[in-house]
Amino acid sequence: MIQISHVSKVYGSFPAVQDVSLDIIPGQVVGLLGPNGAGKSTTIRMITGFLPPSAGRIKVCGHDTIDDSLRARRSLGYLPESAPLYPEMRVKDYLSFRAKLFGVPRGNRKNAILRAGDRCKLLEVMGRRIGHLSKGFKQRVGLAAAILHDPPVLILDEPSNGLDPTQIRETRSLIRDLSVNRTVLVSSHILPEVERTCDRVVIIARGRIRADGAPTDLLARMLKQVPAKHSLEMYVETRADPEMGGRSELDRIAARLKAMPGVASIAREPIPGDKPDQGIRVAEWVRLVITPQPSHPDLREPIARALSLGGILYRDLRRQSPTLEQLFMRVIEQDAPSTAQSAASDSDAAKGAGT
Amino acid sequence: MSRALTIAVREYGSFFRIPLGWVVIALFMCLSAVFFAQRTFVPGNPAELRDFFGVWWGLLLFVSPAISMRLVSDELRSGTIEPMLTAPVGEWTIVAGKYLAAVFFLITMLLPTLAFVGVLAWLSRPDFGAIGAGYLGLLLLGMLYLAVGTLASCLTSSQSLAFLGTLFVLFVLDLAPARLAAQAPEQWAALLFKLSPSYRVADFARGLVDTSTVAFFLLGSFWFVSVAAISLQSRRWR
Repeated sequence: MIQISHVSKVYGSFPAVQDVSLDIIPGQVVGLLGPNGAGKSTTIRMITGFLPPSAGRIKVCGHDTIDDSLRARRSLGYLPESAPLYPEMRVKDYLSFRAKLFGVPRGNRKNAILRAGDRCKLLEVMGRRIGHLSKGFKQRVGLAAAILHDPPVLILDEPSNGLDPTQIRETRSLIRDLSVNRTVLVSSHILPEVERTCDRVVIIARGRIRADGAPTDLLARMLKQVPAKHSLEMYVETRADPEMGGRSELDRIAARLKAMPGVASIAREPIPGDKPDQGIRVAEWVRLVITPQPSHPDLREPIARALSLGGILYRDLRRQSPTLEQLFMRVIEQDAPSTAQSAASDSDAAKGAGT
Repeated sequence: MSRALTIAVREYGSFFRIPLGWVVIALFMCLSAVFFAQRTFVPGNPAELRDFFGVWWGLLLFVSPAISMRLVSDELRSGTIEPMLTAPVGEWTIVAGKYLAAVFFLITMLLPTLAFVGVLAWLSRPDFGAIGAGYLGLLLLGMLYLAVGTLASCLTSSQSLAFLGTLFVLFVLDLAPARLAAQAPEQWAALLFKLSPSYRVADFARGLVDTSTVAFFLLGSFWFVSVAAISLQSRRWR
């Protein structure tokens, strides 16, 4: 449906997209994921024919985006980033304008507008000026305009950018509705959006494709590289014990766990909502995060044995299943140009990707 | 062609959905009325609009850049150019539609001035031929100015820059030939005068409609609109 072969785009001397190849089959819902500046919008603009590739070819429904541009454009519905619209126009006038531009026959026009307006839940604002609408409504007007001519391919650039959580959820379910019988390409830097709506995720960073596959496959692949961390909550004394050479019970347990084969590292984490030790209690609940080595993906049993032998009470022991977010961050971090950036903590990097 | 009309109709409508269109018309009518009252509508003066067309040509110099400045600039600034250029519409169609809208607006702006003709016809017996020719000259001059403005509007996303750029080019177009002609040898001077739109249009006020002058304006407009379309196309080459 969309064939991208060895496409590159260079702005001046800056390579925005480098040798990207992608084949999207009919009916697929593909998420293009990457941090800002990764080359998502450039890739999308090349598919829609707004920008010509510096090298390589793109075909949409078999039509080359440069040589057969008009036909390629006709088979596309496109919602650009931040949905640019004419604020002075009324919604129905704008939709009618777009329908005419796309050559929707006069007889079908009214129906097409009503259908698109209905699907995007716009009927109540049809007579209002676009400039007076909320951001969520504007986004929906852009979406309605993109599906007016019932295109087989729908391309949405950051459809939930700048929306509040409710609007994001609405947009997501709308995209799911629209993806029936359509090929959809959604770009985003927001993970849940892609994770929940897409059959296939393509992660792009610094102009190159870094990962490509179904979300579950990507996770399985990732699990082989980075085993899941184990989270453990146990009831132990945390105060230094003079009889034990100044070490606490926690220190001893942690040392024993650390010595177990297959354990890479151990870190203590605060338990959200737990009151801090008032100095009265002798023991308290402590959460440890144990990172296994890749050779030992599952350490739950040896950990449980060690705790039982030591007579330690514990209430939680589980593997934290990796999320697409971790995979995403890993890809981004691997890709970071400087060591300083790759050393940045997960949360910092996540913030960076979110801005 | 129908798509160019679609774009023209939307653009024309937008002139009236925002204050700009109303302000331009009001300003044009207000200044025209002042001149009419002071210069033409005086007992004993001939019932003609000859002086008046001179005033309008001067006004057009400032009004037409105001009409054309937002045509494409606004789309470049707001990003609406992206849905426009990704719709199955060519750059020529877009520019033609935009230009047509500006010309329609110019005609709309001129329509109320027919009231002055009405007043003259009511009080006296004016020469309708000369007035018709004057209006034709006004329209042709406006079309050329708007074509220059359309090109400027395609080149920048800033409306004020488009306005000033158009104004500058129009001044050069109008004044440079006359200034240069004064110092140039005679055969060159004649040619230079022929290149000055305001000099060429002067005949119209006297009721002279010269086909070569009509062709000059139409071809000039076509040339500027074509360059505008090519400049918009060139965004895809970069």
